[in-house]
Amino acid sequence: MADDEPAIHVCDDWINLTFLDWKAVRAAQIALSADKYWTEIVPGLDSIAIQFDPALVSPDEAVTMIRDQLHHAAPVSNKTNILVTIPVCYDADLAPDREYVARELGITAEALPSWHASRLQRVAMLGFMPGFAYLESAACPAIDRLANPRQLVKAGSIGIIGRQSCIYSFDSPGGWPIIGRTPLRLFDPAKTQPALLSAGATVRFESISKEAFDHWPQEAEE
Amino acid sequence: MSFTVLKAGLQTTLQGAPFTGHRYLGMPAAGAADCLSLALANFLVGKSFDAIAIEITLTDALFQMNEPCSVAVVGAAEYVRINGHAHPQHQTLKVMAGDRVDIGPSRPGCRTYVAISAEINADRLLGGQSTYLAAALGGFHGRALRKDDIISFAPDSPVTDVERFTPQNLKLHYSDDHVLRIIRGPEAANAKAGVLDDLCVSTYAVGARANRMGLALEGPPLNASDSSNMPSAAVFPGTIQLPPSGQPYLLGPDAQTTGGYPRIAQVIRADRHLIGQLGSGSRIQFVQTTTERATEIYREKLSLLSSWLGQIKLW
Repeated sequence: MADDEPAIHVCDDWINLTFLDWKAVRAAQIALSADKYWTEIVPGLDSIAIQFDPALVSPDEAVTMIRDQLHHAAPVSNKTNILVTIPVCYDADLAPDREYVARELGITAEALPSWHASRLQRVAMLGFMPGFAYLESAACPAIDRLANPRQLVKAGSIGIIGRQSCIYSFDSPGGWPIIGRTPLRLFDPAKTQPALLSAGATVRFESISKEAFDHWPQEAEE
Repeated sequence: MSFTVLKAGLQTTLQGAPFTGHRYLGMPAAGAADCLSLALANFLVGKSFDAIAIEITLTDALFQMNEPCSVAVVGAAEYVRINGHAHPQHQTLKVMAGDRVDIGPSRPGCRTYVAISAEINADRLLGGQSTYLAAALGGFHGRALRKDDIISFAPDSPVTDVERFTPQNLKLHYSDDHVLRIIRGPEAANAKAGVLDDLCVSTYAVGARANRMGLALEGPPLNASDSSNMPSAAVFPGTIQLPPSGQPYLLGPDAQTTGGYPRIAQVIRADRHLIGQLGSGSRIQFVQTTTERATEIYREKLSLLSSWLGQIKLW
């Protein structure tokens, strides 16, 4: 069907495909991932970029190969997604913007953990830092980013700007309002699967106490 | 089996091949900002074109070699001195234990590479060893070198005994004026009409915000479209973004993997090594080309380089 054809833009060593929705992005990612000629396959929110070595493949050849591989893409549905449970401590010590976010949502700060943990999230993409995850959930009021971004947001911090949440994977600057922190490590380069999350995964947050956060067992090295 | 950092300078890191295949996890390329100078330096000490070497940025740096070995210097440095005596770039230099290698400031240009015949120990991850500063990964504890750091060599480092000089026609010209060839980016059409013509008609200067992540460019503001609704999408080193300010931003080797500003242009791969020589105040003339021409240029460049360097890749 012509409507399913992505818009293609060709650069000298990467090709951008823009799709109608995230399911098509995910299906394309899976269909393209078997080819050794693609040095990078990078999903965006509604697009995917495929990088190649132009000494080996010309841009025209790459377009032909990509079109062919997309024809064999299998459809993706919510049911095929893996589910990852992420423990989060919503304690005020780890959630400097708890009051602000609760106020914007029209709920109490005490109700925020159960509100946030009740919402299923989908990993839209990774970016910004290794393992940093952008999450999407059902529609809700939008929340402005901080007027003055913080110089330091601790790794594991959960940010939210409404239906979009994020998880900081490393200590870094950041402007998302922070409502909690997970003790899990989002990116561990020593692991076979370095990132805890991947695009398309479903995430469920689970509220944990400060005590549980402080004593969360550190994972053994692989 | 080591060298000692006596003067580290502004930002000196261990860099070699970029990380590849992990951008979908948010892992940037990192690696040598000027991969061609790195390759030329490595070849002079008998190493692979993308082996780990020392990347020095803008200011001078001083190292003491604690082992007899060969070194080679290629880049923007104004001078190279060993124990105070001037030596040329672009040739194998034998050093003895205790020798002090002094690398002058970048003038003109931005970065200089010091390759060493011994294998430099660097943290290994995701199939690479380059330093990615923002997440403190790779290289020497993921950070820039500091005074008194001792960088060890692998104990069983093969002692290569080559003596080479870069052929005259392959020596790079270091400058503060560069021509970078570009092709249209995915959002060039969404930006106001003629945005690439406007980009190519003026000279842009690299502003104060200039580092391995990217370079803020200053010049006549470009007509930016409203990009507030652009869904974040993949970006690469060499991508030129157009933020609402209208001042283009050129991404470097440490750039994050996705971004939300229109990607109006892409510097072609054959020219991307020059980004590593751009510092604040450098001037850039952009010239538009086509993907077909870009592929030809890249293959011609590789063919020229491989006559001297053998198998080589640029990034």
